Amino acid sequence: MEDDMIMDKKRRKTASADFLLQWSQWQLLDSILPTGGFAHSFGLEAAIQARIILGHEDFKNQVIHILENTGSLLLPFVYSATNSPDLDTWQRLDRILDATLTNEVSRKASIAQGSALMRVAAAVFTEVPCLKTMRDACIGSGAVSFHHAPIFGMICGLLGMDSETSQKAYIFITMRDAISAATRLNLVGPLGAAVLQHQLCLVAETVLKKWMDHTVEEACQTAPLLDTLQGCHSYLFSRLFCS
Amino acid sequence: METGKVTVEKVDGKSTVTRCFSKYPLKFIIPTKVGPSKSDAVWIYTLTYGGGIVSGDSISSEFNIGDGCTTVLTTQASTKVYKSLGSKCSEQFLEARIGRDSLLAVIPDPVTCFSTARYSQKQVFRVLSDSNLVIVDWITSGRHESGEKWDFDLYKSTNNIFLDHDQPLFLDTVLLEQGNIAAITERMRDYQVIAMVIILGPKLKHIQTQVQEHVKMIMSEQLQVPFVGLRGHIKSNSSICFTKPPFIASCSLFGPKGMGIVVRIAAMTTESVYKFLRQQLASMELLIGVLPYR
Repeated sequence: MEDDMIMDKKRRKTASADFLLQWSQWQLLDSILPTGGFAHSFGLEAAIQARIILGHEDFKNQVIHILENTGSLLLPFVYSATNSPDLDTWQRLDRILDATLTNEVSRKASIAQGSALMRVAAAVFTEVPCLKTMRDACIGSGAVSFHHAPIFGMICGLLGMDSETSQKAYIFITMRDAISAATRLNLVGPLGAAVLQHQLCLVAETVLKKWMDHTVEEACQTAPLLDTLQGCHSYLFSRLFCS
Repeated sequence: METGKVTVEKVDGKSTVTRCFSKYPLKFIIPTKVGPSKSDAVWIYTLTYGGGIVSGDSISSEFNIGDGCTTVLTTQASTKVYKSLGSKCSEQFLEARIGRDSLLAVIPDPVTCFSTARYSQKQVFRVLSDSNLVIVDWITSGRHESGEKWDFDLYKSTNNIFLDHDQPLFLDTVLLEQGNIAAITERMRDYQVIAMVIILGPKLKHIQTQVQEHVKMIMSEQLQVPFVGLRGHIKSNSSICFTKPPFIASCSLFGPKGMGIVVRIAAMTTESVYKFLRQQLASMELLIGVLPYR
C-alpha cells in the first residue's frame, strides 16, 4: 500500500515536471520572448539589395538555403550543449563557434542574440538557478562571447528537453525569424508568410534529419553565396536590420 | 605516410629548403631563382602527375617554415579533379607550421572539379602571434565551355588556423554536395567561382587595410535599395536595377584584436577573380619577389 503511494507520488512529480517543461518550451519558442531576434535578416536584406532576390521563388529558395546552412553549421553546437549543459562545455563550444563564425556580421548577430537570450533565461527560468550563476560568472570575464546556438542548446538541456527537440526548436526559430524578417522587408505579406512557413515544414524536417546529432568538428557551411552576401550587410547604405 | 614534406630554414641569412621529399602522385618543383636576388623567398610549385587529381588519390603534405623565413606555395595551373570512379573520394591534406616573423603565402590556381567528381581537402595552419599567412582557396564551377556548371558530386574544403599550437583562430569548412536539399547550381545562382582569401599577420597590416577599404568601396556601389517598394521613386539608370552584380565580395575581421581578415568572393568569371587577386596582393611583390597571379 505504501509502495503504491510512493510510486503514485513519483509519477505525479514526473507528470508535473513534464507540464512545466511544456509551458517552458512554448515560452522559449514564442517570438514574444524578448531576445532581439527581430533585428536580424539572415542576409536577406543584403540579398535584396544585391538583386539576388527578385521574386517569391528566389526568396523561398533563399530561406531553404538559410535553413540548411543553420543545420550544417549550428546544429552541432545546439546538440552538444543540450547533451552537456555545463559551464566547461559551454565555454568550449563558445570558443569553437567564435572561430567558426568567420563572417563578422553573423558572428556579431550570434553574440547579440546569445547575450539577450542568456539574460532573459536567467531571469525567467528561476527554477534553474545555475543559469544565473553561470551567466554572472562569465559576464565581464571575457571567457565567453555569449554565442547564440550553444546558449540555446544549454537552456533546452537544463529545462529537460532532449537533443532532438532542441535541434528541431533551433531550426524552427530560424525559420520563424527569417520569414518574419521577410515580411518587414516587403518580400511577403503576413498571411503569405504563414502559408510559406507551413509549406516549408517538410524541408525543415529534412534539414533536421540530415544535420542533427553531428559533432562540432563536422560543422560546415553549405551556402557560400549566402555567407558572402551576409558579410556585405555592413556595406548597405540604408538598412532596416542589424544583419 | 606523407606524400610530401618540405622544411624551410634560414641558412646564411637566406630562406633555404633544408629538406624536401615527395612521392607519387605528388611532385614539388623548387626553382633556384625566382624574383630579384635581393628578395628572400622560397617558391614551391606543387604538381600532380597526370596534371590533376584522380579518383581515389590521397595526398598529404607537411610544411615547416622556420623563423624569419618566407615561402610561397603555388601551382602551375588549375587543379583538375577528375570524375569519381565507384563513388571514391579523392583527398588532399596539408599541414603547415609557420614560425616567428615568417611568411607563408599559399596562392594556388583554382580547383576545378569535373562532372561527378568527389573531392575533399583539408589545410591546417599552426601560427604564432607574429607569423604571417596569406591563403587563397578557390574553386570554379567546372569546365564551363563543355557546359559543366557545378556538376560535381562533392566538394569539401576545410581551412583551420590555430594560434600557439591549440587555440582555434579560424575554423571553416565549405561543403558543396549534389543531391542535397537544394542543388548546387541553384545555391550558386549564376556565379561560377567562389573564393576565399585570408590575410593574417603584422607584416601584412597595410594590405589588410587596403583590401578592406577596396571591398567596401566596390560593394557600396553595387548594393542599392530596390525601387520596387519605394513609393513613386523611379531611378534614371534603371538598366542596372534588376541585374545581379557580376562580382560580390565581403571582408570580415577575425581573431583577437582583428589579427586577420577573410575575404569571401562570388564571381561570374574566373578572370575577374584573377584580376582582384592580382590587384589586391600586388604589394606582396616586395615580400615574395614576384607579383602574385600575373
